[in-house]
Amino acid sequence: MLADIRVLELSTPPTMLAGQILGDLGAEVIAIEPPQGSAGRRLAPFIDGRPGLERSLTWHALNRNKRGITLDARTPDGRALLAELIEQADIVIEAVEGEESLCGLARPERLIVCDVTAFSRSGPKAAYRATDPVLVAAGASPAMAGPPGRPPIFFPVPQAIMEAGAEAAVAALAALGARDRLGCGQRVDVQARIATMPATLGRLVSARSGGPHGRRMEPPRMGAMPAIPGIYECRDGHAVVTVAFAPAFVGLTQRIAEWLVEEGFLEAEVAALDFMATARAVMAGEAPATPIERFIAALTTGCKARTKAEITEASKRHRFMAAPVMTMADVAAFEHYRERGLFAPQAVGDRTVEAPARFAQFSNYEIAVRRPAPGLSEHTLEVLTQRAGLSPTEVQALFAQGIL
Amino acid sequence: MVAALEGLKVVDIGWIMVGPVSARYLTELGCATIKAETAKRPDPLRGLGPFRDGQPGLERSLSYHLTNAGKRGLAVDVKSEAGLDIVRRLVAQADIFVESFTPGAIDGMGLSYEMLSKANPGLIMVSTGILGRKGTMGLGMSGTGMTGSAYAGATNLMGWPDQAPVGPYGPWTDAVTPRFIASSVLAALHRRQQTGQGCHIDIAQAEAGLQFLTPAYFDYAVNGVVAERVGGLSDPLRAPCGTYPCAGADRWVVIDAAAADAWTGLRKVVGEALADPAFDTLVGRLRARAEVDRRLAEWTATRTPTEVEQALQRAGVPAHAVCDDEEMFSDPDLTHAGYYREVDDPVVGRSWLPGPQYTMTGTPHVPTRAGPCIGDCTAAILAGELGMGEGEIARLKAEGVLS
Repeated sequence: MLADIRVLELSTPPTMLAGQILGDLGAEVIAIEPPQGSAGRRLAPFIDGRPGLERSLTWHALNRNKRGITLDARTPDGRALLAELIEQADIVIEAVEGEESLCGLARPERLIVCDVTAFSRSGPKAAYRATDPVLVAAGASPAMAGPPGRPPIFFPVPQAIMEAGAEAAVAALAALGARDRLGCGQRVDVQARIATMPATLGRLVSARSGGPHGRRMEPPRMGAMPAIPGIYECRDGHAVVTVAFAPAFVGLTQRIAEWLVEEGFLEAEVAALDFMATARAVMAGEAPATPIERFIAALTTGCKARTKAEITEASKRHRFMAAPVMTMADVAAFEHYRERGLFAPQAVGDRTVEAPARFAQFSNYEIAVRRPAPGLSEHTLEVLTQRAGLSPTEVQALFAQGIL
Repeated sequence: MVAALEGLKVVDIGWIMVGPVSARYLTELGCATIKAETAKRPDPLRGLGPFRDGQPGLERSLSYHLTNAGKRGLAVDVKSEAGLDIVRRLVAQADIFVESFTPGAIDGMGLSYEMLSKANPGLIMVSTGILGRKGTMGLGMSGTGMTGSAYAGATNLMGWPDQAPVGPYGPWTDAVTPRFIASSVLAALHRRQQTGQGCHIDIAQAEAGLQFLTPAYFDYAVNGVVAERVGGLSDPLRAPCGTYPCAGADRWVVIDAAAADAWTGLRKVVGEALADPAFDTLVGRLRARAEVDRRLAEWTATRTPTEVEQALQRAGVPAHAVCDDEEMFSDPDLTHAGYYREVDDPVVGRSWLPGPQYTMTGTPHVPTRAGPCIGDCTAAILAGELGMGEGEIARLKAEGVLS
């Protein structure tokens, strides 16, 4: 879809997903790294647990569909080559500290520059130093995640680089939309901290508007209504089961009860109750919580006796909402993802893995893994001879001087 | 100045978050977006909080407003033939159509891509569900972002190793997915500009969520390592790097001083407690992680998160408060960036919504407005877009089509 678009990505961790999304959507992407390699090559985990510039699995996961070159933009030769490549580019994606874009090089009028900063470009935190968890903390979602009484919880996978990268892809393509209509390029700015904020799912907006605060807390108790868990232990792990008594969702809860009756975990008379009316009465303190407690106890027992797959199957049959809490092994084995064609083969080192590359299915376009993540400087010769008019000897000379 | 996509038309019949948030991205770029909804079965997001002043009400949900900011409301019952015809005619002139019902339901409603694209071959249609349309489990499978997070592998990765998983905050895939939808739509628009070709985009929210977790997926696919939850911030390759307790109820600060210069800065600020020569090297700090963390926690515990953040940042140490919502609103950097926008709404009154997620320097986003009340522009849309006269609109209203 973007086959005519040339992207230069001055590779840093928060640009990686952005470049990859554009590459997946068909753009020709060149990742430019300093001669010693992008910082993204030093991100764990590593192939076989052995570190190395070609062994970062985070690098492999976020750099497919790119060619990779190296150049030292602090040298006159490096700057001249970068300027030449910028001249031919449609989009440049870079992470910047402070005000300066494109290493200070001139910006052609049609060029789209997508700058990713940690905080605002010129505000009070512009000079802040940030790493991934610092940005996630600044985005507030950890303040709301996890059980109270213990520290906030985090993913064991960096998230700010993902949030910023995904947002930068949108920003760059929005600018492309503008250029398609109006003819002009422009600079678009993405702040990684702001990119992490949607993970609070709107909870943030209530503080200034009189609503409840978004904090980690035990769910508020309404009358005698018991706490309603969302995740249940089952025979081979855990399952998410949506239990709610709000009008839009109470039907689902009623159907969970039908399943529990069918399986012999719940008495039919409890399932026969009008759950919405019962819950309302319990919340108002007008009725005892016994039937709701009975229902939750039966669901807990029922889940414990069944596998993730059995609960999922039951949810389909009885039309309630449940899902297996999948591990990455479950994800890899999930037949439905295979049927959809989520996976595409990608070379990683000396082996080939099934990469979950196709984040969207288009009626007339297919995301393909056209090339695996590039090795360090793998395409320097190819790109600089084709694009910058260098001879192979000149490329070698620059390499000998450590410029490439 | 003209906005990037000014003049393009979006019909958004999605509900809850993913579809409508994706349509908000387009609305901010200048698209004229119609939110089609029926009062007979309103967007369930209207029933979910947080609510203005904590008081529930169909027009009081702040989540609804931030998700639907800037759209125009059309009340229409697509279960009636006349209502369906209205939506079909609007989509026939639209550039983008977004739906997020249970996968396949849209076909049953008589609004399938096959049918709509016959009248409008350039149409870009988005269908999004937890597991998408394609694949045996997709059609008919409904769920929320909680379900999506579980299928994405996210739920299992969040929580304490000694407890059951708790998952990330809220329906997490709702936050992740709209970026993949917006990117896909914008790429499709670019292609359409060149070729006139539209397309149907099928996005499974669980698959979008997985894109944020691919390092863990590759660890399994290549190394056979099944990533597990680690509880609080924990990185075996970085020390000190963690969440440290601060003065106040449930207040924390993240400090990441694994880099040599950050460690030097941290030592300068904290002083004696971190002076032990055993901590001079990274290896020393990795081996003495618990002790370094204990001493650092003692130092942070008597200070507020902001005091720690500011003292450490002045010394070049990456650190930030684990912000709570009040801090997010008073944050000087977000204020400087103009991130929050004041909007006025007939029911909610003056309130604050997050503005666009990024800044365009050449073609600014349109000003942020509140979300529409159900059907607040019905007559204007029917007259303006479909050329209906007052009499016809009144008749449809009387027949219950426009509610």
